[in-house]
Amino acid sequence: MNRELHYDAVVIGAGVAGLVAATRLAQGGARVCVLARGVGSTHLAPGTVDVLGYAPDAVREPGPALEQLAASQPGHPYALVGAGVVADALDWFVATVQAGPLPGYGYVGGGLELGGRYPSALGALRPSALVPVTMAAGEAQQLGRLCIVGTPALRDFHPSLCAANLAAAGIDARAVPVELELDRADANTLGVARRFDDPGWRARFCARLAPLLGGEDHVGLPAMLGLRDPFGALADVEQRLGRRVFEIPTLPPSVPGMRLYEILSSALRAAGGRLVLGAEVVSGRWSGGRVEAVVTRAAGHDRVYAAPWFVLASGGFASGAIELDSHWTARERILGLPLRGVPPAGEPRFVPEYASEQPLARAGVAVGGDLRAEGADNVLVCGAALPGAAPWREHSGEGIALASAFRVAQVVGELAGSPAEATA
Amino acid sequence: MVTLSTDVLVIGGGATGAGVAWDAALRGLDVVLVERRDLAEGTSGRFHGLLHSGGRYAVKDPHAARECVAENRILRRVAADCIEDTGGMFVATPWDEAAFADRFVQGCADVGVDCEEIAVREALSDEPRLNPRISRAFRVPDASIDVWKTVWALARGARQHGARVLPYHEVVSVNRDGDAVTGARVRDPRSGEEIEIEARVTVNATGAWAGRIAALAGIEGVNVLPGRGIMIAMNHRLVNTVVNRCQMPTDGDVIVPIRTVSVIGTTDRLTDDPDDHTVLEEEVEQMLDDGEKLVPGFRRARALRVWTGVRPLFEDAKQAPSDTRDVTRAHAVLDHKARDGVRGLVTITGGKLTTFRLMAQETVDAVCAQLGLQRACRTSVEPLPGSETGRHYHLGERLARKEAALAGEQMVCECELVSRAKLEQAIDRFPAASIDDIRRRLRLGMGPCQGGFCIYRTTGIMHARDGLAAEQANGVLLDFLQERWKGSWPILYGDQLRQARLDDWIFQGVLDVEHLPR
Repeated sequence: MNRELHYDAVVIGAGVAGLVAATRLAQGGARVCVLARGVGSTHLAPGTVDVLGYAPDAVREPGPALEQLAASQPGHPYALVGAGVVADALDWFVATVQAGPLPGYGYVGGGLELGGRYPSALGALRPSALVPVTMAAGEAQQLGRLCIVGTPALRDFHPSLCAANLAAAGIDARAVPVELELDRADANTLGVARRFDDPGWRARFCARLAPLLGGEDHVGLPAMLGLRDPFGALADVEQRLGRRVFEIPTLPPSVPGMRLYEILSSALRAAGGRLVLGAEVVSGRWSGGRVEAVVTRAAGHDRVYAAPWFVLASGGFASGAIELDSHWTARERILGLPLRGVPPAGEPRFVPEYASEQPLARAGVAVGGDLRAEGADNVLVCGAALPGAAPWREHSGEGIALASAFRVAQVVGELAGSPAEATA
Repeated sequence: MVTLSTDVLVIGGGATGAGVAWDAALRGLDVVLVERRDLAEGTSGRFHGLLHSGGRYAVKDPHAARECVAENRILRRVAADCIEDTGGMFVATPWDEAAFADRFVQGCADVGVDCEEIAVREALSDEPRLNPRISRAFRVPDASIDVWKTVWALARGARQHGARVLPYHEVVSVNRDGDAVTGARVRDPRSGEEIEIEARVTVNATGAWAGRIAALAGIEGVNVLPGRGIMIAMNHRLVNTVVNRCQMPTDGDVIVPIRTVSVIGTTDRLTDDPDDHTVLEEEVEQMLDDGEKLVPGFRRARALRVWTGVRPLFEDAKQAPSDTRDVTRAHAVLDHKARDGVRGLVTITGGKLTTFRLMAQETVDAVCAQLGLQRACRTSVEPLPGSETGRHYHLGERLARKEAALAGEQMVCECELVSRAKLEQAIDRFPAASIDDIRRRLRLGMGPCQGGFCIYRTTGIMHARDGLAAEQANGVLLDFLQERWKGSWPILYGDQLRQARLDDWIFQGVLDVEHLPR
C-alpha cells in the first residue's frame, strides 16, 4: 500500500483554470496540490485574455454582452458564475501578473468595458479583453501606419499575408522581411525568444531592421520578445527603432503563453501551493457520493492523494480528459463523472461543414449551479471541462477559465466553512 | 477560342487515361489528355494502394487473377519507384471458413500466384499485431503502389514524348460529324476558357463516368454501375505487410501499409452517382470491426481519414445489380465503330488499378486499329520516368534525405517531411494550384495533424511567392480546411478528436480564420 498524501484541496490540471483555482485556494489558507500530466493549454494559446469576442457577432463591450449571453444561455459557464465574478477574476488576474516575476510585464486593455481587437498572424483582428503589455500597441483603433516584420527563417509567421489581410481591413500595413541571425533554418518563436533575451542580439536585430523601415509608426513582430524580461526587451526595441512595437501571437509553442504559465505557477508557489507535473491522475477512490482520494501514475508507481476537496481543471476533448471512443461513447476519463451536452446515440456528433458549430462542441462535465460535479459532492469543475461553451469560437477561453476557477475557490471556501462540511 | 489538333484525345486523367496517354505517346502518336479536375483525383486516387498479387481473385475470378499475376510482375519492373515491396499475406481468421484455405492454395497454383504457406508462428513474428488466433498464413507477392506517383510518372513520360496533359479541363461536348466522333470541346472550370480539340480518335477513359461521356457522344447503353466503397487510413503502419483475410472477397478484408499509414478497405454499395462520396456510420463501424478481426486493438488506434472511391463496374446484363461485387471486375474496351457504327471513339472502363497498363495497351491497340496503324506496345518494357533503376521506394527514404540536410532545411509539414524548398518548387511548377493539388503531389497535410500546422505555413508561403490577393489566399486556406474536415468528421474519435480540437484552437482561436476579410 502506498503512503497517502493529504491536502486540503487537490487540483487536477495545470492550465490557467487549474493554476488560478489552486492559487486562490492557497491564498485562502488551504494546503493545495496541483496534479497534472504536463503543462496545460497555456503553451498552446495566444497568451491573451479573451473574455467574449463573438456572440456570435463581434462583441465591442464584453461586460453587457456577457450578461446577455448568461441570460439567453443558462447552461453557459458565464451564466453559472455570474458577471460579477468575471470582473473580480479579471481584477485579481491583472494584480497577480503585476506582482509576478517578470518586471514591468502586465496585462492591459479595455477589459469588460471595451474589448480591443489585435492582429492575428493571419491578419484577422482578434478580439481580446486583456493582452500582455507587449501586444498593447497592436490595438486596431490606435494603429497608424504599420509594418509587419517577419523572417523566412521562421516558418510560423508570414508577414506578407498578415499585412495583406490587415490592409484589406483598411489598415495601412506592409510586410518587411528581415534576415535573422539564427543557426538553423527551422526556428520557432520560442527559439527566437531565447535570443531576444540577449541584449546584444537584440541590438543587432534592430540594426538590421531599422534601415528597412520607412514612415511607419508601428512595428508588428511575431510574439517572440523574450521570456526573461519581455517588458525590458519591448522598451529596448521600441527605443532603438523609434516606433511603437507589438507582438502578434502565432502557432504553438506560444511564448506569451509560456510567460503566463511562469507567472501563474510562481503565484501558486508564492501562496504556498505545490505543483506536481508528470503526475497523471488515473482514477479516484470513492466513498458514496464523494471522492476521498485520487491516484496518480508516475515513474512506474502509483501515488494516492487524499483531500476533502477536488477541483477538476483537466480540460475537455482537447486535453483528452474527456474522450469520445470509437463506439461513440463519451466519458470523463479521470473520475467517470457524468457529462452534459453529448448528442444522444443516433444524433450527429459532427456536421459536414467545418465552419458550422459542431453538435459535440459544447459537451462537458455536468455541474450544478455552484460548479459542483453531478454525482460528486466534493468535486468542483472549472475551465474547459465545463459544458455549455464553445470557447475557441466565442473567444472566451481565458475568461471562462479565470472566472470559473475564481468561483470554484469561493465555493470551496463557502462550503468548507459550513458546519456540515467542517467534519468531512 | 483556342483549337488543338491531335491524333488521340484522351478524356480522363486517372491511371487508365494517363496510361493510355503514355502508351500512345510511346507508339509515336500525338496525344492530348484532358481531366476535369486534377490528375488522379477520381477513382484512381481514392483507393487503398494495393498492387494485387492475384491471390484475392484466385478462387473467385481466375481470369482476373491471371491478369493481376502478369501485371504485378510487369509493374514491379516498369513502375518500380512507385511501388513499395511490402509483400502480402493471406491469413485465416476464426471468422473465415476453414475449408477456403485449401481452395485458395489450389486457386493460386492454377493461376500462377507465387503462394507459400508459412507457420502461424512465423506470420506472427513478422507481423506482431496480427490476431494470434489465425490458423493458417500464406505469403503472396502483394505490394503497395503510390497511385499519385504512378499517374504523374505516366503523365511526365507522356509529356516527354510530346503529349499535352491538361488537368482542370472538363469536357463540355463531344463533337460528332455524322457517324464519326471528331473530338471534344473542353472548359477550364477555374478560368471559364474553352478549347476546341480535334482528334482522329477520342478515348473515353473516364471509368465510372464513362456512360456520361458516351452519352455526350450520342451513344446510349454504356452502363457503368458505380460501386462506392469507403477506406480508412490509420495513423502509423499497423502492419508492414499487406494483410488479407483468407476468404471469398468481401468487405473489410484487407489492410494495406502505404507510406506512413495503413489503409483498411473496403465496403461496396451501389450508387447511382459516381460523385457520391457519402460515408455512412454503419460502414465506418463495419470497417473498424473488420480491422479488429485482423489486428486486435484496431479501434484504439488513431483513425486519420476516411474517403470513398467509386469503382467502375461494367454491367453484365445477365446479372441483377444487387451486389456490385458480383458484377465482373474485368475491364471492357468498347470499339464504338464495331459496337455502334460510330468511328473515332473508344471507351475503356471497368477493371482495377493493378491492370491499368493492360487496359491501356488494349485500348491503344483498338485506337491503332481504327487509325490503320500497326505499332507495338512498349509499356511492358519501357520504365516510367523515375523508375529506370528498377529500385522500389522504401518507407525511410524521405527521412534519410532529410537527415542529410537537417539543419539547413525548413520543414513546412513535419508529419510528412515536406520541406519549404519542395513546397516552393511545387508552387512554382503549378501556379494557381490549390493546397489540395499540392497535397496530392507532396503528401502535405496528410499526417496525424491533418494540416493543423502546415496549412497556415503553406498559405503564407503561397501568398508571398504566388502574389495571390489576400482574399484568394484566405479562400485557398478555408477550402483546404473544409477539404480536410470532409475526410475527418465521420471518423473523429479518440486521439484524432483531440487533434481536431487543437486544430480548432489554432485556426479559430489563435488565427481567427472565421473573421478574415472575404
